[in-house]
Amino acid sequence: MENVRKIIENFTCEYVENYKKTWLKAKLSSKDDLLNLSEAIKKEGLRSLSTVSPTDFLEDNIMEMNYFFEDLDTKRNLWLKVDLPRDKEGCKIESLTPLFASANWHEREAFSMFGVQFLNHPDLREIIKSEDFKGVYPFRKDFDWDAHEKNQTQNIQQIVDAFKKEQNENEKDLDPDSSETILNWGPTHPASGPIRLRVHCDGEEVISIDPDIGYVWRALEHLVTKKDFVGAIVAVERLCFMDNINSMVGYCMAVEEIAEVEITPFASWMRVLLGEVARVSSHFMGLGGFFNNMGLHTLGMWNMDTREFFLDFLESYSGARIATASIEPGGVRYGLDMSMFDELQKALDKFDNSVGEVEAVFVKNPTMKLRSDNVGILTKEEVHEFGLSGIVARASGVKTDIRIDEPYAAYGELDLEYITQEKGSAKDRFMMLFLDLKQSVEIIKKAKAHIEKAVADAKMNPTKDHMVKVPKKLPKGEAISRVEWARGEVLMHLVTEEKAKTPYRLKMRAPSFNHTMMLNHLLKGQTLADIPLIFGSLYICQGDLDR
Amino acid sequence: MLKILDFFDYAKSESLWMAHFCTGCCSLEMAAAMGPRYDWERYGYLPTPTPRQADVLMITGLVSKKILPALLRTYAQMPEPKYVVAMGACSFDGGPYNDSLSVIKNPTEILPADVFIAGCPPKPEAIIEGLEQVKQKIKNGEPSAASQGGLWKEMEF
Amino acid sequence: MIDTLFSAFVFPGLLYVLVWTVGLFWFFRKFMAALHKRVGPSFNGKAGSYQTLFDLSKLLTKESITPDGVNPYLFSIMPLLAVIIAMLPAAFIPWMDGLVVVDSDYGLLALVILIGIEPFLLFLTGFGSNNKYSFLGGVRILTQSISMETAFFLSALSPALLFGTMNLTQIVEQSSWFSFLILFPGLAMYFVALLGLLEQPPFNIPDAEQEIVYGFYTEYSGTNYFLLKLAEFAEFMAVFAGATALFLGAYKGIFFDSYFFFFMKMLGIAMLMMTIRAATPRITLAQMLSFSWKYMVPLALLNLAWVLFAKSLWFMGA
Ligand code: SF4
Repeated sequence: MENVRKIIENFTCEYVENYKKTWLKAKLSSKDDLLNLSEAIKKEGLRSLSTVSPTDFLEDNIMEMNYFFEDLDTKRNLWLKVDLPRDKEGCKIESLTPLFASANWHEREAFSMFGVQFLNHPDLREIIKSEDFKGVYPFRKDFDWDAHEKNQTQNIQQIVDAFKKEQNENEKDLDPDSSETILNWGPTHPASGPIRLRVHCDGEEVISIDPDIGYVWRALEHLVTKKDFVGAIVAVERLCFMDNINSMVGYCMAVEEIAEVEITPFASWMRVLLGEVARVSSHFMGLGGFFNNMGLHTLGMWNMDTREFFLDFLESYSGARIATASIEPGGVRYGLDMSMFDELQKALDKFDNSVGEVEAVFVKNPTMKLRSDNVGILTKEEVHEFGLSGIVARASGVKTDIRIDEPYAAYGELDLEYITQEKGSAKDRFMMLFLDLKQSVEIIKKAKAHIEKAVADAKMNPTKDHMVKVPKKLPKGEAISRVEWARGEVLMHLVTEEKAKTPYRLKMRAPSFNHTMMLNHLLKGQTLADIPLIFGSLYICQGDLDR
Repeated sequence: MLKILDFFDYAKSESLWMAHFCTGCCSLEMAAAMGPRYDWERYGYLPTPTPRQADVLMITGLVSKKILPALLRTYAQMPEPKYVVAMGACSFDGGPYNDSLSVIKNPTEILPADVFIAGCPPKPEAIIEGLEQVKQKIKNGEPSAASQGGLWKEMEF
Repeated sequence: MIDTLFSAFVFPGLLYVLVWTVGLFWFFRKFMAALHKRVGPSFNGKAGSYQTLFDLSKLLTKESITPDGVNPYLFSIMPLLAVIIAMLPAAFIPWMDGLVVVDSDYGLLALVILIGIEPFLLFLTGFGSNNKYSFLGGVRILTQSISMETAFFLSALSPALLFGTMNLTQIVEQSSWFSFLILFPGLAMYFVALLGLLEQPPFNIPDAEQEIVYGFYTEYSGTNYFLLKLAEFAEFMAVFAGATALFLGAYKGIFFDSYFFFFMKMLGIAMLMMTIRAATPRITLAQMLSFSWKYMVPLALLNLAWVLFAKSLWFMGA
């Protein structure tokens, strides 16, 4: 950490300060230094750029850029800020994509939403947005959404026209003598979900892939600014419904940091427990999806069977199977009736009874190994370069897990160990998912036992301890929080104004964004049959891809 | 003769196949409805890989602006007679995304739905009940809502 | 005359194939559901037994779309042709003692060839669909059938070599427990090749949903789709019946001979196929090719050598 600080102090900064345990926060005085500074810290080892997040300060007339650099090995992180002028001509900055490959799409996103121009970016096209937002920047504070809404019919017609045009003309540029074609893999494809991959292929061979995303774009980051701090959890949890709890945990941690509230031990243990239940139910879908993509639905069905029992527990706790909305700034939303743990016990028993047959039939399946052992290989180097996280990173042998690196909730009190695989192939990612699932179940058991013991010892009161009051109005401030989400690292960057009732800006960095960026890299030169397999093994959810 | 025709009508109502099309998070509960506990195949529902063989288009929750043309095209590709089922709060009025401008708040004005299934997301039981209502509608010989009107007819896609 | 009509339209002709299709489709769904820990069709009729009847009748009444830009003749004639070709092998099968429609000395040859033509028709359906996914599916089915058929033919030949005749009736008559044992490697190979020919996992490459939507089926709807499904199930029947007649002694039973045993044997093969289907992911085209040419074909040739050896050892005098 000292080295990083020294490097930064070579440049003129407004401030350099320590932030949390693993972070350094600094603000550059001039945007011209950005490129040199990033080059220097890349040499130092901070090789991944987690995300790029502009914040639009209308009154001060500045666009503040936030860069989050991470070193997955030594766990040193840097939060770098720099101001840009806000007007459209001056809002320009040097692109970091040539240095950090992971910046590519993040910069494209910042460009499409805020109109920040990145100089020397190799491929600065708009991303995510639908056609009617072409050329306008919807996340800028002075963008008039109401005026935009008035022309809704017209906008829709515009989108439909553009779609038609694209469908008719997308093969125009191809060489008529070659056998190259473009396949639309999605958005109505059986295995794709709402994403479209434009697959340039020659017969069975894939030449290149250009993902077209944004089919479930709900502008969540903008939506939260229209809700109050508690209401915003509804938007945050819809980041992706498969694991909604952990994303809410991340958001609530950021709010609590700004409000300077400490939650009770009971609430933090509940966050662990609920979060792991959500992770388990997400991993069940992921495991099933992996086999579904190879044309085998049995595992998906078996997992669905066990998953229902975990959802039963969520339902008894919160009243909803999926949309639980059960984590709130200040703790967890509901108290706990200890008899609810019976449901959980049922689920755990069910899991213990059924995991053996899953292991025998599917995890050890020879055809699966034959099929996936040598495709989609990601090296350690690539994990760093593209800022991958979660099970994808761990399958390549990179030891990263936010639950251990930067313990939150009650994870610090648990003895967790990194689980990794070596090779980084599709099969390793599947194995990783399975091992992670088992680990999560172990955590649930521990958390449950801990809560039960503490309640029995009268150290916790499950009906009263669940919430601490968080003021409705928050002071001016900003915070980041990171959580280990089912799919990888989620970084929330929350900015509030003085006496704010609503978030001013919330940036959600979601792992699938980086993972989808890898598709072209992994699939070039492979065959069509590998597309669903690799797509499934990267464990992508379209919800957090588009946000 | 009449008996045979009746039989075919009855067969039509009892065998609903779905087009595979996920637009929103409700599709998670649709997956659960296919799963072992709820198993909608008991009632004869079956997902098909292509819209060409489907009878029912499920709007699974939100319809974002960008996906709308694909949705309409999928609908157009289905053979007659075809029905539309709208799931979730989103497909009724935008639901939790009512304030979001990238989501279409009234997709069923564009593509009218025969049955709405309430919930966010609807529980699997509700989904099955909704599909049962489609069956009832076919048995009663009612025409599908989308064939009666909707903005989709005026759009070229 | 009546006899001909009866065999064309009732048994083993159209009606038989229809009933078989409805029944097997239902059985597949039920059996698959059980392996999935589900129930499967359950509310229409006893244990959902009417369900597939409704499904297939519904397809008949639905609109049959002929998409823009396809060759309408190719597009709509191929399914019909596929059904007819798929139903023909039934005429050569000895269903019961003395019940075989065409008792030919070349029955085996006819059976094998008719089964072998089918994939080419399906290729043409994909070719005529004017859809990239259909076309890819068509090309895949062609590639697959060419490489799988070699092994299929070679293993189907082994009973003919052993008994010295291509007449299916005689093959059945001469078969015994002992010949079953000798032919067992041939049966195993026939079964694996059958998975390839019928596009069943792990060789369900031509209609791989997750890769190329539905292969050559992608553009078909209504009646045409119904015909293709019918062809698919008739093809199942032909191949299963072929296996039963060639290797398993057809209608020969334990205490008495009857069609019942024929049926049960076919069902046994179907169940084995479904179980494999429920536990094996799909492999890629390249893996299938190398599997077929590197292992299947050489093994099938070895099997022929083994059959000849066994014949010279035990069957020469007889
Ligand atoms: S209704 Fe609820 S669950 Fe369904 S798509 Fe909308 S937000 Fe998602």
